[in-house]
Amino acid sequence: MFRKSIDEFMYYLPFLREVIRKDFKKKYHKSVLGVAWSMLSPLMLVITVIFSTIFRRSIPYYPSYWLGGNLIFAFVMDGAQSAMNSVINNSSLIRKMKIPNYFFCISSVTQNFITMLLSLIPYFAVSFIIGVQPSPYMLMIFFPIILAYIFTIGLGLFLCAYGTFLRDFNYLFTIARRAWLYITPIFYPIDIIPENYRFMFELNPLYVYITIFRDFAMNNTMPSERLLIVATFYSILTLILGMMTFKEKEDRFFLYI
Amino acid sequence: MINISEQAVEIVNPIINESLRTNDFYDDDEDVCVNVQNVSVMFNLSKNREEGIKEYFINMVKGKVGYKEFWALRNVSLKVHRGDALALIGRNGSGKSTLLKTIAGIIKPTRGSVEVNGTIAPLIEMSGGFDRALSARENIFLAGAMHGHTRKYMKKRFDEIIDFAELEKFVDVPIKNYSSGMIARLGFAVATCVNADIIIADEVLSVGDAQFRLKCENRIQQMLKGGTTILYVSHSPAQVKKVCRTAVWLEKGVVVDMGNVNDISDRYMQTIKQEQ
Repeated sequence: MFRKSIDEFMYYLPFLREVIRKDFKKKYHKSVLGVAWSMLSPLMLVITVIFSTIFRRSIPYYPSYWLGGNLIFAFVMDGAQSAMNSVINNSSLIRKMKIPNYFFCISSVTQNFITMLLSLIPYFAVSFIIGVQPSPYMLMIFFPIILAYIFTIGLGLFLCAYGTFLRDFNYLFTIARRAWLYITPIFYPIDIIPENYRFMFELNPLYVYITIFRDFAMNNTMPSERLLIVATFYSILTLILGMMTFKEKEDRFFLYI
Repeated sequence: MINISEQAVEIVNPIINESLRTNDFYDDDEDVCVNVQNVSVMFNLSKNREEGIKEYFINMVKGKVGYKEFWALRNVSLKVHRGDALALIGRNGSGKSTLLKTIAGIIKPTRGSVEVNGTIAPLIEMSGGFDRALSARENIFLAGAMHGHTRKYMKKRFDEIIDFAELEKFVDVPIKNYSSGMIARLGFAVATCVNADIIIADEVLSVGDAQFRLKCENRIQQMLKGGTTILYVSHSPAQVKKVCRTAVWLEKGVVVDMGNVNDISDRYMQTIKQEQ
């Protein structure tokens, strides 16, 4: 059975490529700057300037701190949300062709993933301009990024399994996203939370990925082993949970799309 | 609730399906490429499909979360042999498309099993899953990828497809600007070019003009000789007789009869005339 799933995955791999290509084309259809938009979006100058003045003393290289956190956060949230809607959005295809449903989740997360990879270019450009020193640790950022990718696929599959039945999940998710933004230290420093409550951050997968990313990308340090293990654990657990939920629900999708 | 419907199936089944539990038309079991066994498909007809959590809870309180069941197929069994052309006939809503979708693997049967040996190119509702915002060129690669073909392979077949569909002038026009006949032509051309073992054609030929229909029929004959299996739905008895050898007659989700295409379609037409 496992063998069969892998064969199926390999068989539809060209399809995954085509769908991602198609969605990219459609997203930037008739836009002059095209893919360049995905590089411009992280340069949200207003917020950067305002918060830079507020937090200048407690966080060095504040723009890198904020933009890096936001990069990961936006990727996970956008990716999960688009995965949640992917089955509904592709219902015309799903009703006519036999394609494993989860491919639509993977493709929409991957599309966001590519956008994020492109955003890394302006991110590092800004970092170097404000004086972050280049270091070999920066090459390690792919570790937290890929873990976040796996986490997002898992979360997306989970949300899609329910979001296909109940369209309210979109609104719920928007609210949850806002709350999640505030409990994750993205624009504020971790120090504003008392020391003895700080372990609670580690229950938040996004905090873990963002911290690892920041350590590699701007602090030039190796994150603690504990953090790396926790991050891997979250990714794998979420993926398995998402896959199981999706598998259980997907047989009834065709009644609702 | 489920108990009731199971009973309903049990009641219907012995009357009509007794002699047809397996397809008696064939005597051997060799080379079966589609094997449908006791397939039933249930749809949820309830008017208040729970699309929101609020509605869901309101309905739960009212005790209405259950579905109004509708059985689109009841205990359908049939076998299709390699290289055969099978026609599905029956009135609108008799379950033809549902059966085809079940065979194509798009719908999972509520009960029973479908076994398919080989790849399927489904042509359902004319287009085999085209994206209307994309051009013919992009759609060809997309459709090819759905059958596991790489871009490289599809590039080789590209000219052949466009040539057959007669769309040379419109290759880069988004297909939302196409006429329904043009889309059907493209769909047929793609489905017959991806080297599938089984082709499912659901009323594809009804939109094309006479000339294209003739071309398609020739192509189908060619493919049948090459060992491709075709499952075919059409409301034109003449066309069915021309293309197919065997036929299955469906009525309200139940197989009424199956056998030689001439017998079945004649009897079907007679019944319809009598009803009027």
